[in-house]
Amino acid sequence: MLRMLQAHGLDAGPTQRPIAAGAIAGTVATVPALAVLIGFQSLDAPARAIGTTALAASLAYTGLMLLGGMLYGWLFQRAANDPRGGWLFGMAFGFVLWMLGPIPLLQWLPDQPILRGYPAAGLLLAQLLWGLALGLVFPLIHRHLHTGLEIRPGSESRSTGPEAAVQTHVLRPLPSSRQPPP
Amino acid sequence: MIRSVAYSRAILAGMAGAVAWEITARLLIWAGVPFFDLVMTLGTLTLPNASPGVSWLAGMAVHLLVGAIWAVFYAYFFWSVLPLRPVFQGMAFAFVPMPLAILIMHPQFDLMHPLIQSGQWPSSGLFGLSGGVHEPLSIGAGHLIWGSVLGLLYTRPVGYPTNRPPHLSKRPARARPLISSAAAPSDHRFMFATGIECSYPTLEDGRWRMDQMAACGHYRYWRTDLQLVRDLGLRYLRYGPPLHLIYRGPGQYDWNFLDEVSAEMHRLGIVPIMDLCHFGLPDWLQNFQNPEVPQALADYARALAQRYPWVRFYTPVNEMYVCAKLSALEGLWNEQCRDERAFVTAVRHLAKASVLMMQAIATERPDAVFVNSESGEFYQPCCPDPKIRRIAAFENERRFLPLDLLYARPVHEDTRAYLDQHGMPNEEYAWFMQQDVRQRSILGVDYYEWNEKLIDSNGQAQALGELFGWYAIAGQYYRRYRRPMMHTETNRMDARDGPRWLWRQWHNVELIRQTGVPVVGFTWYSLTDQVDWDIALREPLGTVNPVGLFDLNRDPRMVGLAYQHLVRLFGSELGKALTIEEVLARASQTAIWEARRHHA
Repeated sequence: MLRMLQAHGLDAGPTQRPIAAGAIAGTVATVPALAVLIGFQSLDAPARAIGTTALAASLAYTGLMLLGGMLYGWLFQRAANDPRGGWLFGMAFGFVLWMLGPIPLLQWLPDQPILRGYPAAGLLLAQLLWGLALGLVFPLIHRHLHTGLEIRPGSESRSTGPEAAVQTHVLRPLPSSRQPPP
Repeated sequence: MIRSVAYSRAILAGMAGAVAWEITARLLIWAGVPFFDLVMTLGTLTLPNASPGVSWLAGMAVHLLVGAIWAVFYAYFFWSVLPLRPVFQGMAFAFVPMPLAILIMHPQFDLMHPLIQSGQWPSSGLFGLSGGVHEPLSIGAGHLIWGSVLGLLYTRPVGYPTNRPPHLSKRPARARPLISSAAAPSDHRFMFATGIECSYPTLEDGRWRMDQMAACGHYRYWRTDLQLVRDLGLRYLRYGPPLHLIYRGPGQYDWNFLDEVSAEMHRLGIVPIMDLCHFGLPDWLQNFQNPEVPQALADYARALAQRYPWVRFYTPVNEMYVCAKLSALEGLWNEQCRDERAFVTAVRHLAKASVLMMQAIATERPDAVFVNSESGEFYQPCCPDPKIRRIAAFENERRFLPLDLLYARPVHEDTRAYLDQHGMPNEEYAWFMQQDVRQRSILGVDYYEWNEKLIDSNGQAQALGELFGWYAIAGQYYRRYRRPMMHTETNRMDARDGPRWLWRQWHNVELIRQTGVPVVGFTWYSLTDQVDWDIALREPLGTVNPVGLFDLNRDPRMVGLAYQHLVRLFGSELGKALTIEEVLARASQTAIWEARRHHA
C-alpha cells in the first residue's frame, strides 16, 4: 500500500519538511481545540481520573497533538500541502485520532465512560476542530519551511544528479559488478 | 493532490444523498415502520430544548454537513477506484462510514445526548444494539441510500460540457498584446524545455471536453507556472494556447487570455514553442473528419502569427499520428471512429493542416522555426510468423504516414495502396509531394515507456516498455527525414523513477548527438502533473498522474530538481553548440547534397 502511494507521487521530496510542518501545525491547531475543551469542561473529568489538574491535562493534550501533527505530516506528506483538500484530510485525521485515542481510553476501557454529556461532545468537537485547523494551516506553514530550489550537496544530489541513472530501487536488483558470479 | 476533485459537485451529491436518506426515513417513520430517526437525534443533541421543528432544522443542517464532508472524502479517495458503475461505487463506499456510525458514533451520541443522560430517552447501549436490531439496520439502510445517490450524481470530475466552456479572462482585449523589454536569448542554441500539458480532445460524441489546462489548474495558476519554468533555469516552453476557447468561429478570436500569458512570457524571457493544435478542435469545427479543418487551422495560425510577431517557434499540429489513431482508429477522442478510412481521412486533414499552417506562418514570419512533434513509435513482431511480421511491417510504415505527407517523402508502395484504398485521391497525394515546408523544420520525437510495442501472436499490439530506447527509435526517424531533431516529450508515470528515466533519456540524446545526429533540444513533459493520461484521456476520472516537474500544488518533485541539476551540468557546454539557424542551414545543405547524389 505504501509503495503504491509512493509510486503515486506522495513522497514529500527533498525540498519539503512535512514532519516539522506537522509538528508546528499540530501545535498551532491546539489553540482553538483547547478553547473548546475548556469551554465544554472536557478536560476536567480525565484530569480527575488520572489524578492531575486540568492545566496538566491541557499541557499533555498539547504534547499529544504535537505528536499527532508529526504523524499527520509523515502519513500524508505531499498530499498535506493540498490547499483545497487539506481541511478534509486534517478533519478526517482528527476524527480518526478521536476514534483511536479518547474513545477506547476514556469511554471503553474504564468501568464506566469518563465523559458524558457536553464534555463528551466537547471532546469530539475539539478533535474535529483541531484536525480542521491542522489541515488548513499545514500548507501555509509548510510553504515557509520549504528549502529553495537550489541543488544541495550530499544525499539529495545523489538522487537527482547523474547517479540517479543507475538507481534501481524500483526495479529488480541487478547483480553487483564488483562480485564475481558464483 | 492525488485526485482532481469537483468540489461543488461532490458537496451537492453528498447533500442530495442526505436528503434522500431523510425523505425515506421520514416516510417510513410516518408509516409506523421502526426506523432510527437520525435527523431528530442530531437535532435534539444540538438543541435539546428547542421545538421539534427547530430541532429538525438543526439536525438536518448537521446531517447535510456530514453528508457533504463524506462525499468530498469519497471524491478524493474512492471515486473510480473500483471497476463498478458509479451508483455501485457509491453504495460500496457507504460501507466505510456505516460501521463507524453504527459502532462508534451512535453509542457516543448516546453518551453526549442530554436527554438520554437525563433518562428522558432510552440508551442504545455500548454498540447501539440494546434497542434492537432495527436501529443499526436502519442506519445501514440510510447509508446505502446516501451512497447510491452520491455515486449516481458524482461523476466526471474533470472536463466540462462542450457547450459550457470556462471563462478565462474578463479583461477586455487590447489592440495589441503588451510587450515589455525582452530578456530572451537572441540566438537560439540547444533548447532545454518543458511544456504545459494542454490536450483538449472531446469525448462522448463531442459533448464533453477534456481540457488538461483546466484539469491541471493552469488557467488559475498560469502566472505561477511561468515563474516555475524560470525558477528551474529553463527558457523554452512548449505551450499550447487553448484553441477551442480562442478560435470562436471563422475570423473570430478571443485573445484575452493569451495576451496576458504571452506578455508574462515575454517579461520573464520565456521562449514559447507555440503548439497550435493539440488533439482537439473548437466545437464549430467538429472533428478531424471535417474537410474544412486544414484551411481553418491555417487561418488561425496566420492570425496568431500576426498578433504575436515576436513568437518564432511553432508546433503546428502536435503528434498527428497519435491524434489520428486515437480519434479515428481506436475510437477514443473527437470523431471516435474505428475504421481505416476515417483514420486515413484524419491523417490527410492533419497533415494538410500542418502544411498550410507552416506556409501561413512563414508568410507572416519568414524566419519562423517549426518543431514538428511526433510520437516515436516502433512495432516489434513477436515471432517468425509471416502474418505477424506483415502486421509489424505495416504498422512500422504507418507510423511515418503523417510525417511522410508533411515532408513530401514518397510513401512505401503498400502504404500508397492503403491510402488509395481508403479514399485518398491521387491529386491530393500529388499535392503533398509538391509541397516543400521542410526547410525550417525540426523533427521532434516524443518517447514514453509505452511507445515500443510488441505485435503478439494474436496480431495485437502490446506495450513493450523501453526495449531499444529513444536512441534507436529517433535514429529511424532521422534516417528517414534527415531533419534536425529534438526530444520533445518524455516523462514517467512512477514518480519514484522520474530522475532515473530523465537521466537515461538524456544519455540517449548525448549518444545520438555523438553519432552526428543534430539534436537541438530536450524536453521533460510536462511542468506539472497531468490528469487521466494513464487511460489516454478516454474517461474523465480525475486521476492525477505524477509525471510533472512539479505536482498540482506546484511543489517540486524529485525529477524537477534532477532536471535543474541536468540543465546546470550541461547548460554551459551546450550553450556553445551551433545555433538553430546554423543547424537548419547545415541540414538544408545536406539535403541538397543528398538530392544531387540521389539524382546522380
